[in-house]
Amino acid sequence: MRRLRDLFQALAQLPRLAFLAVGLFVLLGVLAPWLAPYDPNAQDLLATHADPSWQHWLGTDHLGRDTLSRLIVSARTSLVGMSLVLLIALSVGITIGTVAGYRRGWVEEVLMRIVDVGLAMPSLIVALAVIGIFGTGYWNMILALALAWWPGSARISRAVAVGVMNRPHIESLRVLGASPGRIYFHHLLPSTIGAVLVYATADAGAVALSIATLSFLGLGIQPPTPEWGQMLVDALPYLESAPWQVILPGLVLTLVVIGFNLLGESIALNRVPTPLPRRILLKRRAMAADWRKAAP
Amino acid sequence: MKTTRRTILKGMAGLPAMFAGLSPLAALAQQGGGDTLRVAAGKPAGDLDPHKYKGLWAIQDLIFEPLIRYGHGGKMEPALATDWQVEDDGKLFRVHLRKGVTFQDGTPWDGAAMAWNLDRWIGKESNSWMNASRLFANYKVVDGHTVEIHFKEPVLGLLNEFAYVRPVRFLSPKSVGADGAYAKPVGTGAWIEASADNNGSTFTRFDGYWGDKPDFKRIEVKVLPESRSRMAALRAGEIDLTGGDFLAPIKATEAKTLEKAGIPVSVELGTTTVVIGLNPDRNSALKDLAVRQAINIGFDRKAIGQVLYQGLAEPAGNLFPASVPLAGKRFPVPARDPVAAKKLLEDAGWKGAPIREKDGKPLKLEIVVSEEQIAGSRSLAEILQAQLGEIGIGLTIRSVDHASRHSDIPARTFDMALFTTFGAPYEPFGTIVGLLLSTYDNGVDGKLVIDPAKLDPLVLAATSAPQDKVDAAVQAIYDQMHADVSMLPLFYSPAIWAHTKRVKGFTVPATEYDLPYRGIRLES
Repeated sequence: MRRLRDLFQALAQLPRLAFLAVGLFVLLGVLAPWLAPYDPNAQDLLATHADPSWQHWLGTDHLGRDTLSRLIVSARTSLVGMSLVLLIALSVGITIGTVAGYRRGWVEEVLMRIVDVGLAMPSLIVALAVIGIFGTGYWNMILALALAWWPGSARISRAVAVGVMNRPHIESLRVLGASPGRIYFHHLLPSTIGAVLVYATADAGAVALSIATLSFLGLGIQPPTPEWGQMLVDALPYLESAPWQVILPGLVLTLVVIGFNLLGESIALNRVPTPLPRRILLKRRAMAADWRKAAP
Repeated sequence: MKTTRRTILKGMAGLPAMFAGLSPLAALAQQGGGDTLRVAAGKPAGDLDPHKYKGLWAIQDLIFEPLIRYGHGGKMEPALATDWQVEDDGKLFRVHLRKGVTFQDGTPWDGAAMAWNLDRWIGKESNSWMNASRLFANYKVVDGHTVEIHFKEPVLGLLNEFAYVRPVRFLSPKSVGADGAYAKPVGTGAWIEASADNNGSTFTRFDGYWGDKPDFKRIEVKVLPESRSRMAALRAGEIDLTGGDFLAPIKATEAKTLEKAGIPVSVELGTTTVVIGLNPDRNSALKDLAVRQAINIGFDRKAIGQVLYQGLAEPAGNLFPASVPLAGKRFPVPARDPVAAKKLLEDAGWKGAPIREKDGKPLKLEIVVSEEQIAGSRSLAEILQAQLGEIGIGLTIRSVDHASRHSDIPARTFDMALFTTFGAPYEPFGTIVGLLLSTYDNGVDGKLVIDPAKLDPLVLAATSAPQDKVDAAVQAIYDQMHADVSMLPLFYSPAIWAHTKRVKGFTVPATEYDLPYRGIRLES
């Protein structure tokens, strides 16, 4: 119960708009098949580019497919893709980063130089190169993006791991003769993962954007799976006759990316200690004065 | 002199005049065209050497002229030759050259000039894709204005070949360096190149031109690689004319938008066809005639033409549109009939849902599309996917870039793919030999159908048929493919050009390789 209250308290501290955008995105992504009013791929070639109406709240696209349904189902495509990319990238990154942070010395040197190489190349270029070599396809895209994303998380988790390793309780564990496995799995890894997840939140928006970018270029998600980038590029030739079909996926994508960025930023800021408010400060001082009085 | 606020102000007043004096080009651009036809192209003209395969077709067409010009409907019109005879069973080509013609540099056009040009390309290995070059024996300059070319065998499509843009057109013999290498584009055409760089080219009228002199003095070709920027420039009146498959393609949606904005758009039945090629060697399900027939009637060509091509593309039942010579008897356009398609599959043993199976093998196909090859092809594939899905055929779409398509098509890594026929003046034999004869290597274009047993003999028979039997021989090819459903014609591409209102008298060119300046008048 207490935990739940803590969770709500933490959520209340987040910027409302970002929380709403991301919350809605996750909700739509999870419940997409039940929320979408139509089959997102059902074509009606006789009713293309329909204006918004009671039947089709956001109108239809160039093949007569319901835009609202496609936007909703695309949220799931994006959510699943993004989660997979981050899952793979973070697993690899955290493993390499914590091993480097734990072992230090030459192991760290070698691993971090590899990470440097990875960081030197822009992520989208790496992804394009991988897809260029292995061809288009869903899993190729996921792996390509994961390959582009792991160095960042490796670098951060190494920094966090070094910090954790320097804490006094790890020192004490060593002195007490704890095994490396115990130190690594019970102490180092849990504290690192927490910190890196924050970083991942801010990154989620960028991953969603990359998936859309690759699909826009025709290299990512392939039809019939609806995807925002693909909806955008499909609607682009009709920019003048049906501008909403271009604006809507762009708008949704923008909201999600901004939402994740703000969210990541505010979570990161929440972790930085802020000066206590004056009222609490005075109360604490009064308490300390009481202790002094009580002392003999 | 003391610098005061007044001197600075005086200087400021002088500035615009100074700039105006410095840039006559900028001033010219401000005039709104005047006596200049401004054309937008998708890429720079490049190396215009008429004996190489590098430059932009339409620009080469402005400068260099052929012996014979390919007119509308395949009519052969005299150009640098006034008359010609094909004798000795097609092994002798005698041309009578036009008299009184000079190149743009004053060099006379005569038998010697023609011989000099022939030496530069005919009979060379790199040109052996052309029958006239592959079968070339020798030539003889009979007199100043008569040349005879002898061939080892009768040449198929001889006159068509001499109407091509390259390498058969004529360069001034003086327009080369001391080593004989091409130096400058100088031909007999109506337009002299004045300047050229990556941003565009300019041309001035050749006043000594033998034919109808153009009504205006200059042509300016501006390079605008992005189609959206071409459309914006046209609407803003910064360019006068654009279009054509190779110069600067206009999409059907763009044509409709332009029409709405009051820009005159010319749409005509073109000479190319978009066709679906099938690859039974990669996917054995396609070996089954019933499957091919079911696909053929499984999707709605008319709706595709309406939705994706705004009704500008005409649904096709034949390999060639009627605008191509020897296009053959018209077959009806297959109409969509899901019930009949399902029955065909059912009877052939493909059963189950949602994707049919036979002997445990699902009826799944992969279509390769490239937006750069045909705009809108991915949406087209999505319609196919949905409509074939209804009759139980699972279609996956692989959209690739142009380069990957260029490697995938010759390597045959596709079950279904979109092809386009070559268009005039290469038709019909350009496509028949290039896309249908399995033994002929045509590089990145690949093969539409590979059928050495049934199709190759028919193609070979047609290419060696005497003049009076050619119709029947070509028809036999069309009939065979029609009966076998070995390829699926989709629609005939429209030729789309757009121009501003000050351009009068525009006609769509006979081939997509020409720049249609003829007959144009410019209103100020």
